Amino acid sequence: MRKYETFFIIDPDLPDETNAALDNKVQSIVASNGGEVLTYVPWGKRKLAYAIRKRTRGLYVLMEYAGGSQLVAELERNLRIDERILKFITVMLAERFDPERERERSAAQPAVVPFSEDEESARTPLGAEDEEEGMPENFEVEGLKDEDEEED
Amino acid sequence: MMTVRRKRRTFARRKICRFCVDSDLRIDYKDAKTLRYFVTERGKIVPRRISGNCAKHQRELTLAIKRARQIALLPYTATHML
Repeated sequence: MRKYETFFIIDPDLPDETNAALDNKVQSIVASNGGEVLTYVPWGKRKLAYAIRKRTRGLYVLMEYAGGSQLVAELERNLRIDERILKFITVMLAERFDPERERERSAAQPAVVPFSEDEESARTPLGAEDEEEGMPENFEVEGLKDEDEEED
Repeated sequence: MMTVRRKRRTFARRKICRFCVDSDLRIDYKDAKTLRYFVTERGKIVPRRISGNCAKHQRELTLAIKRARQIALLPYTATHML
């Protein structure tokens, strides 16, 4: 058994009942394919970096689970079919799933930190803010500047 | 015009890899806030020469940024916003 996580985006305009049904569906796919859902955390709605199927917002959900590779294939097949899922990504977290270590970890660690509130509102249209602020500007053109000047 | 002096190595400031310095700082594709620091306004990955990351962390970072793009946490480009 391996440990995986799947991070997926659900259509944000769905009513809560539909979301609940979808949550159940996803989790039951894992369970019925010999896997085990470890965590299932909705990360809240967030503005997407680019539009997916004409939608600019999405509801992110992170699910960690243990299972085999066939489970991942089956899960991804289902996610692809489901129209409510906009996009997903699956990442392998560990080659071997160790239930005991998992228990320790979840006891020691608080739940994952979903998107902070300010991030959602702070995400103004792209390019509007200076994102390179943190970079020391002096480094900017160490090699390139010289070339420019030579052409003068 | 020809008198432009070539200033070489005016800034030889030591670049440090901030992931090596601060081991609490994790590279995670889901953490768009941190990753944003390492992409330009247009969404390009900032090269090591500028950010000062070490090779190992730059590789991890690159992978994380690419994953973040896949899941729409980071843009591929700055254009075509609706």
